Amino acid sequence: MTSKDLTLTNVSRRFGTVTALDNFNLHVGVGELVALLGPSGCGKTTALRIIAGLESLDSGKVTVGEKDISRIPAHKRNMGMVFQAYSLFPNLTVEENVAFGLQMRKVSKHLRLKKAHELLELVGLPTHAKRFTHQLSGGQQQRVALARALAFSPEILLLDEPLSALDAQVRVNLREEIRRLQISLGTTTVFVTHDQEEAMSISDRVGVMSHGVLEQIDTPDVLYNAPATAFVANFVGVMNRIPADLANGKVSIFGKSLTASKKGSESGKIVALLRPETISVKKSSSQGNARVLTRSFQGASSAIICQTHEGTIVQSLMASFDTGDFHPGTLVDLEVSTNEVMVTNV
Amino acid sequence: MKRRIDLPLLITLTTLALFVFVPMISAFEYSIRTPVEGGYGLTNYKWAVADEDFLYYILRSGWLSALTVLVTLVILVPTVTWLHLSDSKLRPLIDGLSLLPLVIPVVAFAVGAQISLPEFVQNTVLELPFLYFILALPYAYRALDIGLNSIPLKTITEAARSTGASWSRTIISVIIPVIRGAVMGTIALTFALSLGEYTLTVLLHWDTFPTWVTFVAQENILGAIAISMMSLIIPFILLTGITLLMPDRSAQRRK
Repeated sequence: MTSKDLTLTNVSRRFGTVTALDNFNLHVGVGELVALLGPSGCGKTTALRIIAGLESLDSGKVTVGEKDISRIPAHKRNMGMVFQAYSLFPNLTVEENVAFGLQMRKVSKHLRLKKAHELLELVGLPTHAKRFTHQLSGGQQQRVALARALAFSPEILLLDEPLSALDAQVRVNLREEIRRLQISLGTTTVFVTHDQEEAMSISDRVGVMSHGVLEQIDTPDVLYNAPATAFVANFVGVMNRIPADLANGKVSIFGKSLTASKKGSESGKIVALLRPETISVKKSSSQGNARVLTRSFQGASSAIICQTHEGTIVQSLMASFDTGDFHPGTLVDLEVSTNEVMVTNV
Repeated sequence: MKRRIDLPLLITLTTLALFVFVPMISAFEYSIRTPVEGGYGLTNYKWAVADEDFLYYILRSGWLSALTVLVTLVILVPTVTWLHLSDSKLRPLIDGLSLLPLVIPVVAFAVGAQISLPEFVQNTVLELPFLYFILALPYAYRALDIGLNSIPLKTITEAARSTGASWSRTIISVIIPVIRGAVMGTIALTFALSLGEYTLTVLLHWDTFPTWVTFVAQENILGAIAISMMSLIIPFILLTGITLLMPDRSAQRRK
């Protein structure tokens, strides 16, 4: 079965007094991998469960290709899903787990085992077919779960934080593998995560959600460099929030006049949003404008956390070879390397 | 490291074993006595088996018990599964209600329960499996409840559903095999309880194996004990057979 595109139109879902999704709209193109990213409680998992049919919707509709599937039960939707918790069937072997979807579709035993072995080959577990699930590590279990979700060639693949229970190294490897497989099979995929690094590193587009609404959906580059809202700016990557005054569309930060990118000609007290890599730290010969609190070595780069004399905490990200002298307490000058700055109300 | 003998445990187990086996062994010893010739023999067993009613009643109780097991599984497995999945506020209430058959005297319960059954089973022998089901409810419900508590039911169910299994397939192909131990326990408890049920059966004027045994006991007490011994052994063989036939592949056992 070939993959199809997925559309959610004005989907709303309430749980008692809590609005999990509020007129939520999303379109995922054929073969695209879209991540839904957001803090817990933002509605991303609810959105995924509604797509899967594991949760009902109050209003709106879900369409796959041309077909409205809003009222179709989960088992008839032909979507593969990988869960956060280990979800393999403990009474079945690895190959039987992978073949389960095909068994439900009444594929002959010979064909479904053949397909299961192909999938196990793809996820790198060809020798584990006869094992039981408790004989596998966490990472291996999630690989099998991925193979099971893909074995029946689903129209849509749904990933519900599949990596969050795994060790850091396994996570990185497996996410690359998911991406490789997804590209080679061309399966339309929705990936829910609260880990922005995960979302940014493997997705075609990332949708940032907050309070049941999609704040912005864009490629990872655009999301990072041109966030549409202050929420996205703060949520994606590290962001410095520096109080300043806005006058005639200009903001003065550390003695440099920057153009505020916010539309309109508001003036008064605002907060300027600056990425750590746009701020550099120089050793000061006099009082400077800030004092170093800590330096955190991260390999090629180092994060220098400073406090301005006004009390604002500012983080700078610099190449490590420049930063060896920044001991705690060192007086420094902070400088801004960009000419534009995003501002938000206090 | 040398394994130490756990004395309190040993005493408890020994007491328990004596409590269970001494009456059984005594009954067996009694059942093989031959008062006329003196000494021991299988006379009483031969007498019991020669009676054509023996086969009739054991088969009748057998299929009634099998039907009770079926009724119990069909009603209870989906219900308890639903209670667990829905996180229903009703669950504590139903937990409590399921204990009522232990509290309500059978005399009070028999007629009331009988008239609440569908009309087509009322006053036919088919009413017994439904009534036995109610009597077995406290045990069967708990066995399944514990089984479902021990597995990640929600995730496994959703995984099965999203992989293409309907509700009935999810229960039959996934949930029941995963809680195999609990299901076997439910089958054993329900079967044994139905096979030995006496009070309710007599109250409703039905004849089954236990009521027949009491009847026989009036004319030949040794024969009745021989029959009781067989009624202990037959379900034991049957249940062992079922256990061996149902493939055991659950992870819990292998760990």
